[in-house]
Order: sequence, then C-alpha cells, then structure tokens
Amino acid sequence: MTGPTLAALLAQFAPLAASAVVLLALRQWPRTAAALAIAGVAVSFAASAWLVAAVAVPGRSLLAQAVFLPLDASHNLAFGVLLDTLSTTMALVVSGITLAVMVYSTGYMAGDPGYARYYGFLALFGWAMQGLVLSANLLQTLAFWELVGLASFLLIGFWFERAAPAAAARKAFIMTRVGDVGFLLGVLLLIRTLGLATIPDVIAAAAPGGALGGRTIGVAAALLLMGVIGKSAQGPLFTWLPDAMEGPTPVSALLHSATMVAAGVYLVARLHPLFLAAPDVMRALLWLAIVTALATATMAMVATDIKRVLAYSTISQLAYMLMGLAAGSVTAGYFHLVTHAGFKALLFLSAGIFIHHAHSNDMREISGHEPRAQRAGVIGLVAGSAALAGVIPFAGYFSKEAILGAVGAGATPLVLALAYAGAALTAYYSFRMVFLTLVPDARTHGLTDAPAHGGTGARTHGRTPGEQAMGATVLVLAALTLVLGYLGPWLQVRLAPGEAVRAPFEFGTGALVALGLVAAGIALAWVEFGRAGAPRIGFLERVPAIARFCGDNWYLDRLYRATVVRWAAALARAAQWNDRTVVDGATDGMANGTVGGGRLLALVQSGNVQAYLTVAVLLLAALAYALGRVTVVP
Amino acid sequence: MSQLHWYLLVAVLLFCIGLYGLVQRRSLIAMLIALELMLAAISLNVVAITSLAGGDAESATGNVSSAGQVVAVILIGVAAAEGAIALSLFVAIQREVQSINVEDLSELKG
Repeated sequence: MTGPTLAALLAQFAPLAASAVVLLALRQWPRTAAALAIAGVAVSFAASAWLVAAVAVPGRSLLAQAVFLPLDASHNLAFGVLLDTLSTTMALVVSGITLAVMVYSTGYMAGDPGYARYYGFLALFGWAMQGLVLSANLLQTLAFWELVGLASFLLIGFWFERAAPAAAARKAFIMTRVGDVGFLLGVLLLIRTLGLATIPDVIAAAAPGGALGGRTIGVAAALLLMGVIGKSAQGPLFTWLPDAMEGPTPVSALLHSATMVAAGVYLVARLHPLFLAAPDVMRALLWLAIVTALATATMAMVATDIKRVLAYSTISQLAYMLMGLAAGSVTAGYFHLVTHAGFKALLFLSAGIFIHHAHSNDMREISGHEPRAQRAGVIGLVAGSAALAGVIPFAGYFSKEAILGAVGAGATPLVLALAYAGAALTAYYSFRMVFLTLVPDARTHGLTDAPAHGGTGARTHGRTPGEQAMGATVLVLAALTLVLGYLGPWLQVRLAPGEAVRAPFEFGTGALVALGLVAAGIALAWVEFGRAGAPRIGFLERVPAIARFCGDNWYLDRLYRATVVRWAAALARAAQWNDRTVVDGATDGMANGTVGGGRLLALVQSGNVQAYLTVAVLLLAALAYALGRVTVVP
Repeated sequence: MSQLHWYLLVAVLLFCIGLYGLVQRRSLIAMLIALELMLAAISLNVVAITSLAGGDAESATGNVSSAGQVVAVILIGVAAAEGAIALSLFVAIQREVQSINVEDLSELKG
C-alpha cells in the first residue's frame, strides 16, 4: 500500500474507531469521549490535508481497490479509495467542518445527559461522509450514502424523548429513502452493465463510444438523480430539511454544510461526465433547481425562526450548486459547495450562540436579549450573511459569480434572469435575518428589557471554556469566509482543465448586475427591518395569505399529508389489518382449534371405568361378528 | 338341540350375568365376583366342548379326553390367584382412598 492509500484509510477509519470506542465504552465518561472523538476527527483532518497536497498536481488521480468478495468473472465486491482533487478537498472540508462543530459543541452541549452519545454519533457521521467522499466504486458509495442517512437520523432525533425531534428524524429518513430507491436502482443498473462500477470506469463508459448506450445513460442518470434530490432536499422532497432543525444547532451546522445534503451535490460532481452525457436529464435538473431556489427563497423571506431561515437558504444554495453543475460547469457547482460549507457552518454556529443565550429560536425573541453583547456571534452572523448574500470580498460572492457565469454560458436567458432574481432574494432574506436578529425592536424593547438584564449580568462575569471554544470556532470560520473565495482558480485548473480560468476580480457585466441586485436586496432589507422606526415586516408578510403559504412550505406538507401520507397510512392500516386478522387469525385459529378439539374429545374421557368396559365389550362383539361373517362365507 | 347346546346356553347365561354385574355394580368386590362368574362360564365352555363336541381323542379311541378338564382346573387356579391379587389391591386402595367404589377412583377426567 502506498502512502496516499494509507492516509486515505486513516482519514476514514480514525473517526470510526473513535466513534466505536465512544459508543461502546465511554458512555459514562463524557469529557474523555469528547476528547477522543475530537482526536479521531483531527487525525482525519490531518490525513485529508496531506492527501490534498499529495494529489494537488493537475491531472493526478489515484485509485486503489481490493476485491474482498469475488462473485463471478465480472462481478465483484470491492473496497477502495479514489483520490483526486475533488475527493480529497471534499474530505478536507468534511473533516474540517466536523472538527469545528465538535470543538464548538464542547460549549453548546455542555451538561447534556447524552453528551458522550452525541460525540459518538458526530464521529460516526464524519466516518460515513468520509467513506462516501473517498469511495472508489458505486456500491461502496451506496453503502456510505445509507450510513450518512442513518447518522443524520440519529442526530436529528438526538433529543428523541421529545415528540418533535423524533418525528423530524423519521421524516428525514423516510423522505430521503423515497429518493434512495431511485439511487439504488441506478447503481444496480450501472453494476449490471459494467460489473464492478468503479467511478473512473463509469465515467469512461459514459464517454462517446463507451460501453453505455445513450438510453442507459439517460435512465441511470435520472435514477441516480432521484437519490440526489432526496439527499440534497431539492424539488418535491425538500420538506424534511426545515423540520430537521429540531436537532441540536451544531448538528444542523454539520448537516447543512459538509455532510448529508452535500452528499447529493458531491455525487453529481463526482459523476459529472455521466450526467452531462444525458442532456435531457440535465435540463430537467436545471429547471428543478431554479424552481427550488426561488421557492425556498420566498419561504426564507417569511420565516421567523432563525434556524428555519438558514434551512431554507441551504436548500436554495444547494439548488444553486446543482444549477451550476447542470449548466455544465463542475468547478462552479463544487466551488460553491466548498464556500457554502464554510459560511453555512459559520451561520449556524453563530445562530447557536444567540440561541444558547436567548433560549429561543425566534429572531424577535433573540433581538430582545441584547444580542450585540455576543461579539463572536455578531461577527459570525454578519460575515456569514454577507457571504451568503454574495457581498464582494466574501467567499459566497466568488462562487456564486462562477455559478451565474456557468448558467449564463450554458443555459437560456430566462434561466439566467431567474438565477439573478434568486441572488437578489438571497441578499434580501439574509439581511432581513441580520436586522431582525441584531436590531432590537424599538417598540417591544422596553418590555423585554427586564429579563435581558439577568442574562447580561451572568455574561459579563467572564465566560466558561466551552463558551470560549464556541466563540473561537466562529471566529476561525468567519476568517475562512474571507479566504475560501480565492480557491476558485486553483480548483478549476485541477477539476476541469478545459474550462476557461476566471480571475477572482474580473468584473464583467454579469458581476456588476449581480452586485447591483445584491445591494438592492440589502437596501430593501434595511428599509424594512434595519433603519430606525422600520416597520419590521417584509413585503411578502404584508399579505397574510402569501405569508401563510410561504411559511407553510408552500402547503407541500399539507398536500403530502392529504395524499401520499394518507394513502401510505391507509395501506399500512390495511397491512396491519391483514396481519392482525388474517395472519394472526390463521395461527390463532389453529391453536384454538386444537384446544377446542381436545376439549371435545376429552368429554369421552369420563373417568368411569365401567363405561370404558361397555365400549370395549361392544367393540369386541362387533369384531367377533364381523370376523365370524367373513369366515362363514366359504 | 343336542346336549352340548344346553351346556353352552348355560355358559352364555353365566357370562352375560357376569358381564351385567361387572358393568352395573359399583363396588370393586361385586365386580370381582361378577368377573369370577364370567371365568366360570369360560371354564364350563371348555369342559363342555372338549367332552361332548367330539374333541381330539374321541373319534380315534372312543375315550373321552381329559385335556379339557385339566385346562378347566388350571383356569380355576388362575382365577383364585387373580382373586387373591385383586383383593389385596382392593385393601390397598381402601387404605389409600377410603373407598372401593369405582366412581370415587377416577382422577383423570377430561
């Protein structure tokens, strides 16, 4: 085994080992458990960083694979690693965000009875995502894909003793499972055609003149895309993500930035040539993404729960990534995935600081609890929102610019116009969130002043080490939002050497239009929420019907409850009836019949010996008569 | 009706009386007595058939065979032994259950 392979195995299995030890042996020692889990992920982070450097040469990629179960000549089960710039940088992002979230959680989760379990699950999540990112063949991808789903189920339902998180965890698991059916079928289709579906083989087979026909490519791409839609919360399957906010806030940060939802986008980037070979599917994906981006932006514009605003913005940004990929640029989509991982983790972790102090997710509540006393939180929220909105020196600007450029080059003007509109809405709702959270409402401030004072007194007395860790993590991530944006050209040279390199500060018409729209969005948010005497009510919220429509996931959940959920529940009830009545009835009937038959026959057992004797004599007489008749006949 | 038939008729009567007694009486002693009647009927049959119905030896020699009578004597002996064993069992049962009524002696009922 070569050095990179060993490092890749270390990057995967260090978190797994930590998770196993924590979950099996360290449940009673929370501090040791946290330290071990952090150490495991730190090892993974270091190994990933080394891997990035090892394959940083453009065009370099390593594939190491070991067959562990040969089935027949062309079908095998194998485990391996595929190392190129795409997988190693993603591994670095995953382990980096996981590490940040773990350090932050030392403060956020302090004193929780499930502290050790929490760290065990986080490390498990890190392992599952690393395995997915580094996997060499599609079957392995599928296995880790499901493990990622399992880990997110466990973490969303971390406070499972309450009803809402348990329901949210189930919803997340089942809704992603709807898409995973398609993913499974797609993987099976590719395996049937290609044997061991190693990712480079799949890409080679999808090239013109490869082993796959155009129809097979189209069907496989559409099926795989179903899994992506479920995992990355797109189109009709997005409604699990806002509900997943029931998990602890650091979990949301992890789930929304580097793991789980990123898995879908990463898969599209990983198999990008396959998807590009199915242009119809890509066109459908482009439209699905644009509709999702705009729809969830309107939802983010009316939500009052800070975590829900962030959740909708995640869906919207994921849609932007898929838009970039669907428009034909792997760099643009993946670049946005990386920068988004940084600033979305930052936003969630800063929101967590406010939630931790105000004990509420409601932005109006938070604004009444002297939010500006949380220095790190304020810096993080503003920097993160600026990055999300696409303000110029922050990371989000560069990646979103790349996506808009790709869409402009690869799609119709109508799509491009809608994408620009989405960018303006993004700026509006992110700064609506900033102003609603950080600017105290002049009209209600007097009322909430008293409880806020109690909190302030406690805060000014120095902070616990956990709170310092929270603040430090947020500040590091905030610094990253200023740095990550310059990664673009570096990634582009390595991911897609064919695409034209764009310098970060290259202002064409597109960039200026985007910046203008962003400025307009922020200005509108300031007029409505920020300035002194602002009405603090958005233009969408003024119409109650629209506010209700957007605040309730566009009534999609209601639609599902009225149709699919009801049908599934009816089917479940029918199955339950069948089980209780027919299946159980058959076995119960068998048992009852045996018992009843026994009772009936037992009546013969009178216990009267003379009755037995009479029967015996009569039978003997009958026997004698019968035998006599037989012998009489000559 | 030959002479043999009368003997057989008596034996059938004895057997039926014994059977009736065995089935009808509830006391173990009475049932034992009825059983002895049935055994007596069998013995009578054996003796009568071997003596009168042209047994094995008669046709050849003209002498009446005594084999039937030997069997009858053995039967009486067996009946006596059986009676002794049964009575001793009844005594044991009486000690255990304080009754020799067959209706009191059943423990397994459906």
